[in-house]
Amino acid sequence: MTATLTSKRFVAQDEAGAIEMAFEKGWSDGLPVVPPTEARVRAMLDAVGLAPGQQVGFVAHRAVSITAEKVAINAVMAGCRPEYMPVVMAAVEGIADPRWSYHGPGTSTGGAAVLMIVNGPIARQLDVNAGDNLFGPGWRANLTIGRAVRLVMRNVCGSLPGLLDRGTLGHPGKLSYVIAENEADSPWTPLHVERGFRPEQSAVTVIASDAPHQFYNQLSPTAEGVLTTCADDMRISGTVMGQSTYVVVLAGEHMQTIARDGWDKKRIRQFLFEKTHNSHAHLKRTQRMAGEIAEGDEQKMRPLVASPDDIMVVAAGGRAGAFSCYIPGWGSARSSQAVSKEVKR
Amino acid sequence: MIEILDPTTEAATQTIAYSPRPTALEGKRVALIQNTKYNSDRLLARIGDLLKAEYGVAEWRMYNKHNASVPAHAEIIEEVKKSADVMVAGIGD
Repeated sequence: MTATLTSKRFVAQDEAGAIEMAFEKGWSDGLPVVPPTEARVRAMLDAVGLAPGQQVGFVAHRAVSITAEKVAINAVMAGCRPEYMPVVMAAVEGIADPRWSYHGPGTSTGGAAVLMIVNGPIARQLDVNAGDNLFGPGWRANLTIGRAVRLVMRNVCGSLPGLLDRGTLGHPGKLSYVIAENEADSPWTPLHVERGFRPEQSAVTVIASDAPHQFYNQLSPTAEGVLTTCADDMRISGTVMGQSTYVVVLAGEHMQTIARDGWDKKRIRQFLFEKTHNSHAHLKRTQRMAGEIAEGDEQKMRPLVASPDDIMVVAAGGRAGAFSCYIPGWGSARSSQAVSKEVKR
Repeated sequence: MIEILDPTTEAATQTIAYSPRPTALEGKRVALIQNTKYNSDRLLARIGDLLKAEYGVAEWRMYNKHNASVPAHAEIIEEVKKSADVMVAGIGD
């Protein structure tokens, strides 16, 4: 017997009327949604073989149980294809994980988005973009998977902009912020393998994040040259004092330059860690660190991140162009940790 | 006609019992929960002092959360239950 969908039902005149109803009821992120009819919602649930009442995650801070039925409804509204559902489910598990700590990034004035990095075979199967125009637009999987997660945060967890979600500025990634790693061309160990999965597994990593910061280096033919530019851009970024996590996204040309010098991700992380220290004097002069400049402050150094392991390196972005980017994490690594979840088929 | 499903959480009904509010603060012990943001300790200490001076509370004690982004941890809650009559908690940026 098919389990009943227990969500309240509303009747609209037609599809257009249902789209307007979603705006009127405050269910939308500001863009039109696909009306969540029972047939569409059931197709989503069938794709993951879950009963509607199955709990996907429990956000203790909000005392909210996120059920498969609610995830499915929001995934329909976001425009997902049913085969995207396993990725949406894994990402929702990620933001409900106590280590991600919903209380902070789901509400903060800091305006975090949920950066989702998809690894493994599912990324290719679903055509999650890892190349040109990495952060969009143009790819349905990238734009709708992230949108579904944000709609769950809005409609199920209550992160309504201006009410519980008090982001001062927010950023466009709060609409959707999904990328895949370019495992096909990357010379490096994929992110999910570094984080404990097997290469043939699929996983999504969720990170509470600021917007991407692009940097440019068309001059240097060496790993050290490209990464020196990256470090110089990064050194004063994000909350600076918070020691958040960072994601460094190295695109085609830079990826090849760095790989040609034989640098692996570990060496990249170590280099960036060492080159992004700030002196206490500079931090105090620029009003980031409290207190008067004391003797020795010019020499006393503070790292941008607590450990090289707080820098995640990802190969992604277009093949042409001497651009890459770094993404400061929200707040501090203590307050919200990156979480990786397996995408179950 | 088209029928659509509600995407929002429909909360199951539950009853929450609040502690009775004290009618006066005189002689009460106050717990101040600070979120560790810069200057929050100074702000709360000032509130504690004002409560003593103007409302006659017996004493105040400050408790620090692990950081601003998490709820108060269990040890704080347990300690406050035992040693305070009134709690001041809030979010400030």
